[in-house]
Amino acid sequence: MGAVARTLGCALWGLETALVTVEVDVANGLPHFAIVGLPDTAVQEARERVRAAIRNAGFEFPLRRVTVNLAPAERRKEGTGFDLPIALAILRATGQLAVDPDGLCLGELALDGALRPVRGAMPRVRRALAAGIVKAFVPLGNAGEAAALGAETIAFASLRDAVAHFEGVTRQAPVGVPAPAPVPRSTADLRDIVGQETPKRALEIAAAGAHNLLLVGPPGTGKTLLARALPSILPPLDPDEAIEASAVHSVAGLIDPERPLLVARPFRAPHHTASHLALVGGGTPPRPGEVSLAHAGALFLDEFAEYQPQALDTLREPLEEGAITISRAGGAATYPARFVLVAAMNPCPCGHAGDAGTECTCLPDAIDRYRARISGPVMDRIDLRVHVPRVAYEELRDDRTREPSAVVRERVCAARERMRARGRRSNAELSIAEVRRHCRLDADAESLIGEAMRVRKLSARGYHRVLRVARTAADLEGCDRILSDHLATALLLRAAP
Amino acid sequence: MIALRPGDPVDAGYPASLRDLQPAPDPLWVDGDPSVLERPCVAIVGTRRMSPYGERVARELAGALAAAGAVVVSGLAQGIDCAAHRSALAAGGASVAVLGEGITSFLANARGRRRHLAVQLRARGALVSPYPPVVPAQGWMFAKRNAVIAALAQAVVVAEAPAGSGALITAADAARLGRPVFAVPGPIGARTCEGTNALIASGAARACLGPDDVARVMGLTAPAAPAATDAVLEALAAGALDLDELASCLGIERSALRRRLVGLTLSGAVLAQGDGRFARGAG
Repeated sequence: MGAVARTLGCALWGLETALVTVEVDVANGLPHFAIVGLPDTAVQEARERVRAAIRNAGFEFPLRRVTVNLAPAERRKEGTGFDLPIALAILRATGQLAVDPDGLCLGELALDGALRPVRGAMPRVRRALAAGIVKAFVPLGNAGEAAALGAETIAFASLRDAVAHFEGVTRQAPVGVPAPAPVPRSTADLRDIVGQETPKRALEIAAAGAHNLLLVGPPGTGKTLLARALPSILPPLDPDEAIEASAVHSVAGLIDPERPLLVARPFRAPHHTASHLALVGGGTPPRPGEVSLAHAGALFLDEFAEYQPQALDTLREPLEEGAITISRAGGAATYPARFVLVAAMNPCPCGHAGDAGTECTCLPDAIDRYRARISGPVMDRIDLRVHVPRVAYEELRDDRTREPSAVVRERVCAARERMRARGRRSNAELSIAEVRRHCRLDADAESLIGEAMRVRKLSARGYHRVLRVARTAADLEGCDRILSDHLATALLLRAAP
Repeated sequence: MIALRPGDPVDAGYPASLRDLQPAPDPLWVDGDPSVLERPCVAIVGTRRMSPYGERVARELAGALAAAGAVVVSGLAQGIDCAAHRSALAAGGASVAVLGEGITSFLANARGRRRHLAVQLRARGALVSPYPPVVPAQGWMFAKRNAVIAALAQAVVVAEAPAGSGALITAADAARLGRPVFAVPGPIGARTCEGTNALIASGAARACLGPDDVARVMGLTAPAAPAATDAVLEALAAGALDLDELASCLGIERSALRRRLVGLTLSGAVLAQGDGRFARGAG
């Protein structure tokens, strides 16, 4: 038995991880138990949990001076994931465990010695794998997350099980990779939406190129239904995206242990009373907000104009960068936040401006004020703005077959294939240099964009965004060159409302 | 800001036309260039709750008459008034806003686009008020404002007004002062055009079928309006249509139509209304 026992844990700050060596020294002296190495309150409290768990699991807690060091010591540690490595290191240091655990240890202890799952297992296991540590010792509740990443995962129900496994008494078999969950059926299908040809086309372009979409229309015309049909035409998640998105959900503690990897693109729809912190994330340590939970999927903001202006303005960075950095006194955390924004709003306070059926009772200034709630910089980042009109009775009764989502989705996937060939997942991700290289216009389109720049006074960002949308319109039709119709589509969709 | 008084010497700048009012406003507060009040003025007034049709008409008339050299006078209210002022300035002309409250008070309270417009008007025309600068608006004060608009103008055009609209008071004032009154006919049954149609039906106003009608009585010539040769513009003459309706109306492919529509919107001949429909623009 060496003087110092070591096990391996992993610290988590946002999505950022660092491997932590848990060192335990048991020395002669008055009974004492100290944890050093910048532990936060939850880690400090591990003393009580570990002491009780060791005793109740049938082991002996040393009545000596126990010092736990979490190295590197200058890094802040948070959360309950260090309970298992601390307990194992103490047992090792006191000779109650004969072998060193040779992998990442993770888990929270109950007072009776049972192991409880922790938040953020996925990014931590991913970190260990990146460092060449293939074994992960985790609570049963985190087994799926670790196994899904390809780690050699040993899952325990309790501290007793863990010791029995390491000493070879009862060996646990590695957990198999969990079967992917069946893709859930989307609740809304484009086939169920009557009329609305222009909004449907905009939705298809949004899905294909990951462009942001604003639906404006009187109440009850189907804005929400259209938005909810978006998941039914989004392309499937690719494996990398699935892991990235699942890691965020893991940190937020939203993972289903049976089905740890996301199979469908997330569709987040926070209520319009959401604060800016709820949208972008916050707290210490920073937890992911809705924009990050929607990563690789869609963020649906219904009643867009009813959100607090401050909340809407925090969307500016994630919409542009595809990521959000949350800075707190303890340090900054960066979460991915690349999502399709789908916003829906009424055209005016009464909801009936431009509605053929009902007269609008709002004065022009009131309508101006209502629309001004969406700030210019946010509006500038919304590429597709489309009016969702009231549908006439004859159309509602029209039973002709309409295009189902599955057919539209095939077109979207084919367009995404063309985008992938250019090295990007979607056209929304094209850099300015790539826009220049890939968005070649025919002569007519060239003169059209020149005129539009002059008359509409598009910003440079607006110009590039129009070209990206035009690129998507061309991709949907399988064209290499952007024709004037594609550009006209992009310009019309970017104009009013 | 200056105060012009009817008792001043004739060349001191008090607009001669205002002396027709009994009593003439004393003093008349002017912020901006008082000399524009001496030029031929045309009043374009109408409802605050305008329809897209009313907006188009107000813009067309104001633009053409401003281009013909007339100063467009209106009340800087929301809706038709603002559309007329904006279009006159956009056409490179001058425009005068007559306020129903003190000028300083208006500028202190106005927000957004209307405040921006007021600042532009001060630079390229004038803000005028029969009330001292810091008097805040009260409902009863607008009658006097309307009378000043009617008196300043050589002709008054009501672009769009429902029954009971304040613009009809301006029209009555103008008739009393002997100014020619025009009303723009609107679709029968449209509530926002009931007032204007009634003016024509009762003979209180002449039907205004274009800027020419107004320019002629003022002794001006409006620049010839370009004939609507484009099939898209002709299709839109009756009212706003959306892309699908327009495509089926013209019997052409949507892809070809989109290209043409973008061209026409950029030139200003077509206006995207913001509700998915397209209307005739003033350009």
